[in-house]
Amino acid sequence: MRQRSSPVTIDRPGDMAGGQSSGLDPADGSSSRGQARGIGRYLVSLKRWAAPLLILIALLGSWELWTQLGDVPKWQLPAPSTIAQELVESRGLLWQHTQVTLLEVALGFVAALIVGLSLASGIAYSRILERSVYPIIIASQTIPIIAIAPLLLIWVGYGLTPKIIVVALIGFFPISVNTVDGLRSVDPDMANMMRTLGASRWQIFTKLQVPSSLPRMFSGIKIGITFSVIGAVIGEWVGASEGLGYLMTYSQPLFLTARVFAAIVVLSAMGIMLFVLATLVERLMLPWYHTEKRARSMERI
Amino acid sequence: MSQRAVTTPKIELSSIYKAFNLGGRREAVLAGVDIIANAGEFVSIIGPSGCGKSTLLNIIAGLDDADAGIVQMDGDPSSMRLGSIGYMQQKDLLMPWRSVLDNTVLGLELHGLSKKQARLRALDLVETFGLKGFEKQYPLALSGGMRQRAAFLRTMLLDQDVILLDEPFGALDALTRVQMQEWLLELWESMKKTIILITHDVDEAILLSDRVYVLTARPGRVKMVLNIELPRPRDYKSVTTREFTELKSILLTTLHEENSMPAWGKLEETNK
Repeated sequence: MRQRSSPVTIDRPGDMAGGQSSGLDPADGSSSRGQARGIGRYLVSLKRWAAPLLILIALLGSWELWTQLGDVPKWQLPAPSTIAQELVESRGLLWQHTQVTLLEVALGFVAALIVGLSLASGIAYSRILERSVYPIIIASQTIPIIAIAPLLLIWVGYGLTPKIIVVALIGFFPISVNTVDGLRSVDPDMANMMRTLGASRWQIFTKLQVPSSLPRMFSGIKIGITFSVIGAVIGEWVGASEGLGYLMTYSQPLFLTARVFAAIVVLSAMGIMLFVLATLVERLMLPWYHTEKRARSMERI
Repeated sequence: MSQRAVTTPKIELSSIYKAFNLGGRREAVLAGVDIIANAGEFVSIIGPSGCGKSTLLNIIAGLDDADAGIVQMDGDPSSMRLGSIGYMQQKDLLMPWRSVLDNTVLGLELHGLSKKQARLRALDLVETFGLKGFEKQYPLALSGGMRQRAAFLRTMLLDQDVILLDEPFGALDALTRVQMQEWLLELWESMKKTIILITHDVDEAILLSDRVYVLTARPGRVKMVLNIELPRPRDYKSVTTREFTELKSILLTTLHEENSMPAWGKLEETNK
């Protein structure tokens, strides 16, 4: 299921970015309601989060009841409370493996960023690269990364390197595709305006195309950084001696199911954290973009 | 107007032709346009919608090539016009990620000036352009008139001799438009640049120009050249003088023959 999830979601990176940012971006909704301030603003965000929170609580509650009342064995499906207990009790172990996975994600993501942005710049700048390399990049995404991961062990051995490669392979694609889209979608009138001011092709690229592509680039980064966590886990599943993915493959045959769940909880928390971090960096780097978005959503009212 | 007989015109267009492919067939947009703008003159081009006025400016600016005809700058038909003629479009085209000040210095920056030097030069003019106190704002926070003035400053800072204006006030409300026209008059009288203005507004053309060219409906060619010999400096009070009204009625009559639409003061632009 995991190996399939990457090509499927990757097909429409833009849509996914939209869905994710509106889901996890509290400022979007509160701003679209105009000048909500102080308590009003707080209430608005409470209202916004109330429905998903209630559903989550209901789900966890029925899960808890189901396992408790139905006498489901712990090794088969541990109750949420058991998982929470496991999180607390094994926190040392979990933290130790979390650090390893986080390092893989960080290094792999940086590699993905470098590769993704260089490819995107090349493709947007040169028509030859666009015609030759771009189709190959898109086609490459039909290769299930999880099938390549074992081969990486043969080529580069165990250790950190194969994990970084898997993370980069999964993470670069949404970054490059979104950035290419951003670099291409430039107002032609603005490019003409720059030409009448004497701009060279390169100056139009650096001073117009690059800055106007940044919002799209950040959409790609937000997807890429979330995928990176999946990449690290795949890398660890295939062959590792540490990391949360390793902890899962190690605990599952021993029927330490609660620990597997605990690792999953930590992994998704990591994904959310990295996503929020990317959003924060975006806000710091693109203050104009958020002013614009807010102004637009006010106009809509 | 004064020096036109002897000196070479700043900009001279001779029988400019241009056609575009529209829906599979070739459609002539400009069919032999001749226009002269001498150094320091204010020239307006007025005509019905779709008569190729914007195409004409694109050709003068060097963004587009004419199919036939000659464009001369200072008597030179092969001069590199792109980059040496200022061009301001109806849209302000300010970059949303740059502050107002940084938008205005774009041209200087492209010519290799450091951001610091460029900003210093812009700051001298910020007050003249009515942008004082808004230098650090993003364009989105500004009113339409202010954005337009920021775009103006961006065009003017490069100090190009020729400035093309494509309906710079078209998107503004009537009151702001009048203020901007008067402001532009003052600015032009102090800067002595050659300005070629496209407009739909007959009042605007007469008030600002030394000469008005009326273009025919598509394919555009010059239907009439009207010299405006109203005394300068002019201001909005000139609009009510008898001479002004006479010129206006000549222009309106000529335009009326070219366009079946009855709305005169301001015609709708469809080719935007």
